[in-house]
This record gives sequence, structure tokens and C-alpha cells, in this order.
Amino acid sequence: MAEDLLFIEPDENLSAALSVYIRRQQFDVRTASAAEAAEASLSKQIPDIVLANPSLPDYDGTRFLLDFKSKHAETPLILLTEPGDLESAMEGFGAKADDYLQKPVKSIALDISLQHARQHLRLTRKFFRYARQLEDLHEAHNLYHQLFDEVPCYISVQDRQFRLTATNRLFKRDFGNEVGDFCYKIYKHRDTPCPECPVAKTFADGKRHQAEEVVTSRYGRQYNVMTWTAPLMDEHGEISQVMEMATNITQVRRLQDHLTSLGLMLGSMSHGVKGMMTALDGGVYQLETGIRNGDAERIQNSYERIADTSSRIRKMVLDILYYAKSRGMQYQTTDAARLAKSLADAGSEMAEKQGLAFHNGIDPDTGEFEVDPDWFYQAVLNFLENAVDACVMDSDKSGHRIDFTVAPQDADAVELEIADNGIGMDEEARRKMFTLFFSSKGSKGTGLGLYIANQIIGQHGGGIEVESVYGEGTRVKIRVPRHRTAAARAVDSLLSPHTDSEDGKKDSN
Amino acid sequence: MSKKIMVIDDDPAVVEYLTTLFEDNGYETCSAKDALEGIDVARQEKPDLITLDLEMPGEWGPRFYRKLTEDPALKNIPVVVISGLSGHQYAINKAVASISKPFDRDELLQVVKENIL
Repeated sequence: MAEDLLFIEPDENLSAALSVYIRRQQFDVRTASAAEAAEASLSKQIPDIVLANPSLPDYDGTRFLLDFKSKHAETPLILLTEPGDLESAMEGFGAKADDYLQKPVKSIALDISLQHARQHLRLTRKFFRYARQLEDLHEAHNLYHQLFDEVPCYISVQDRQFRLTATNRLFKRDFGNEVGDFCYKIYKHRDTPCPECPVAKTFADGKRHQAEEVVTSRYGRQYNVMTWTAPLMDEHGEISQVMEMATNITQVRRLQDHLTSLGLMLGSMSHGVKGMMTALDGGVYQLETGIRNGDAERIQNSYERIADTSSRIRKMVLDILYYAKSRGMQYQTTDAARLAKSLADAGSEMAEKQGLAFHNGIDPDTGEFEVDPDWFYQAVLNFLENAVDACVMDSDKSGHRIDFTVAPQDADAVELEIADNGIGMDEEARRKMFTLFFSSKGSKGTGLGLYIANQIIGQHGGGIEVESVYGEGTRVKIRVPRHRTAAARAVDSLLSPHTDSEDGKKDSN
Repeated sequence: MSKKIMVIDDDPAVVEYLTTLFEDNGYETCSAKDALEGIDVARQEKPDLITLDLEMPGEWGPRFYRKLTEDPALKNIPVVVISGLSGHQYAINKAVASISKPFDRDELLQVVKENIL
């Protein structure tokens, strides 16, 4: 490419002659004979090189050229002075001019000077290009670094020994700033590499791998993560490190678990619901035929049937509601004996209906405890109902009785005991009794009642002890602290999505 | 002499409903609350038809059916499955009919009328 050269020279003859010579050296030459013309020419396009005589007819050439140079330092300026003006030009321009020539100019001197200018120009251009690239690179680097840090995933770069060589901000937040330590130690708190490690696979075959893992943060919290790996190559194209990106899918998993068990519940529930609807149909049929035939006994019987079925339906719906949407506990300081009395009333009514004896021993001085009265009542009622059912199911003996006792265990806790001499449980049933959807009651059981009762007592910081012998009976001891412990509060905040848990705060960051 | 129907269901409310319904329609009834008791009652009462729930504590309906068919005196008694389990129609192949809970009274009575020995 020919460089664009502006030649400022008042002597038009010389200008024309030199222009021809310079063009021959592969320059595009523009000429100007005075500052005004030069200004016009400059305003059209900034030349690559300026060759100028500072003695101009219309303006102070030195000032004009210095002014230009101050704006376009990268444009080489070669001065061509009148004979004898060289020194004063040097004084005036100093290092601001790139080269000095004096008339009469020798062609070789002009050649060398133009060559220099050309080289200088090319170097300068290269330099600017590199500088720009460097700037872009720097920007890109910053951008990538920012991306690396801000991506909402845990990113780590690992070497062949699974040592972390770089981690991003989120990783550091949840797993600590442990560059140099082992991945399996930080993520899984293990002493040896994990089996089926996707990073190891990527080192082996250079491909991307994927795995779902459960990792434990430095605060001991467990996260489900979906992990992808990708190889990082060195300059020889060899895999030197592997990048691992892990997306936290704990929330998704939790939701999935909840939905799965809801689906499971609806499946198991629909059977129970159908049975209850059939029972309700029976009540309605008896009512209908009883009224038609004026049979008072049948009407009375149908009323009992319908009332009984509707209370079963109510209980099932409450269980479903509890499970579907766990509400937060509303704790109140409650008189234990009074709560126990209303439980005993409900229990003895149920027992009476089935012809069972119900004895209660409630110590009126049991004192107060901190519970959610509604849920606590529901939980204990579940055990009372089970005691009644256990007696009804036991056809091998007679004289069934249920004993309900409530007493202060000590200054810190209250103990409730429900004992029956019903059918009892074998070891397997006893082990599974608090499992979701486990029921030994056939179509009457949903497998929710004791599961929920256990959850509720657990949320109160209490414990349940069960002794049971098949064919002999069951004894359930429920121990509830009078005041909620810090541990119970923590469990509560984990179980209840409505309270502002630590988890919620962290995720909103 | 009127025909006798035996009802097997672990839910007393359902047993009461079915026996009342059958008695109102001129049948004699007997009942059992589980499969084990069912065999004894069947031997004693020799019913002309059995309605059977599938999911009960102790023993399942299908096992009851197998025991029933192993007894030469009982094996020809027609069995109508009445269950809330989905897929109940596949549980006992040789049942003369399979009815879902909650059931339509007229449909049940029709099935009983057609199948009773």
C-alpha cells in the first residue's frame, strides 16, 4: 500500500519536481503551497507522512506544524528547511520533528528520510494494533473472569490429582477458598477420590461428562448438584486440566420429592377415598330407605354411619392438607392437663363406641408446656385412635382397655402414655410404623396418620418410644419438652417453608 | 328358599351397606371381615354368591379366592369383586364380575341377579 504523503512547500517548481521523484518511491503525494491550502488538505484526510517546509508565506509554519504534530503525534514529520534555516528549525521543533533535511536536498538523503518515515510508520501502526489487541484481550480477560465468577454454578478447575487450581465466587462462598485442596475432600469430605468421577473420565477420554451428585458445603448443608465437565488443553493440545461446572438443583429435587410423594399419596389415598364414599353411600341408602319405610331405627343407624364416615373423611382431608402444605407451628404456652382432658374425652368417646374400657390418669399438676395445641392434639389423637383400632382388630381376647396417662416427667418435660392390650405389632410393623404410607389397617389406613404424628412431635422437640408385643398390646410414650429447644427451632425452620430460614436468606443473596 | 350372599370387606360400614341392600332385595346374607374368617363362614353358611374386597388386613382377596377354589365344596360359588383398587378387574380372573367402589346399586343388583346360582 502506498503511503499518503502531504508535501507542504511554497516553492511550487521545487514542489512539482520533488513530487514526481517521491511518487516514484511509491508514495501518494498531495501538495500544498501555504498553510491555508495545507489546512484544507488536512481536513479532508490526515496523511500518513508530512514533508514540510516550515517557512510559509501566510502563517507561522513552525506553529502550524507543531500544532498538527500535537494532535497527530503518530504521523512522521520531515522538515525540509531553506538553506541555513536548519539550526533554527531544530531549535524550534526539537524532537517533535522526525527528520530534518536542508535545501538543496540530495536525493539519497530524501530517500533515507522517506524510508525511515515509512518504517517508523509501519512500526507505529503495528504497535498501535498490538496495543489495541492487548486492550481487547484485557477486556476479554476481565469479561471471562467476571463470567467465571458470576455464573450461578459452582465452577472449579482441577488437575490430574483432583486438586483445585481455580474456583469461582459461588464455589468459594459455599465451599471455602481452598485452592490446592482436593475436590473430593472439599465437595464430599472424603479422603479418597470418588468412584465414577466425571473429572477422571474427562481426563481419560477428553470428552464432556455429566453426573448428578450430592455434595456437602462447608456449613454441613447438603446440595444436589448436576455436574458437567470439560477438558482444558495446554498449548500442545494435551489435556492439562479439567473444568467442572456444578449447578445446584437442590430446590428442584426437593420439589420433585414432594411432588412424587404427593402423587404416591394421592394414589394410595384414592383407594381409601373410594372406600369412604362407598360407606357414605351406604349411610345415604339406609337414610333413604329408612325414611321411605318409616323405620326409625334404620334412620338412627344411618345417622351414626354418616356421622362416622364424615369424621373419617374430615380426618383424611386434614392429613392430606397437613402433608400437602406444611404450615408453620404456632406455639403457645398451654396447660398440659387441660389439653390432655380434651384428648381423654375424645378417646373415651371413641372407645365407648367400640365397647372398650378407657382409663385416664391425668395429673392435674402436670403444668404448662409450649406446644401448638391444634397440631399436638391431632398427633396424640392419632395414637389414641390407633389404640382403639388395635383393640378392635384383636379378636383373640376380650376385656380390652386403653390407659391414657399424663404426668410431669421432670421440671423440663411432660410425658404422655397411651397403652392398650390390643393386637400389638410385630417387629417389622413397629419399625415401619412411622414410615410414610405404611399402614396395617387395610382400607381404613392411609399410612399418613402416624407419619404426621411423628413429624409433629419431632417438631416440638419431643420423642416417641414404642413398646409392642404382637398379640399382647402396645405402649406408646411421648415425651415433650416444656420449652422448645434451639434444636427444635432449627428443625422447625427447616421443615417450614414459610418461616425465614437460613436457607432462604442465603439464596436471596 | 331365598338365596344367600356372603359379603367380605374389612370396613364394617361397607359390610352393613351391602348386607342391608341385599336383605332389602330379598336375599339372605352373612359376612366376614377378612379372608381368614371368610373361609370359615363360607364353609358354615354355604352362600350362593360372594362379594369380595381385595385389600384387607391379614390376607388379600386373591389369596382368599385361591383357598376358596381349593375347597371342592366351595369352588363353584360365584365371586363378585367389589374394590376401590384400580386394576382390580385383573386381580381375580375367574371372578364373575368386578365392580368399582363406589358402586351403582342397580348395577350391583343386576350383576348379582345374573350370576347367582
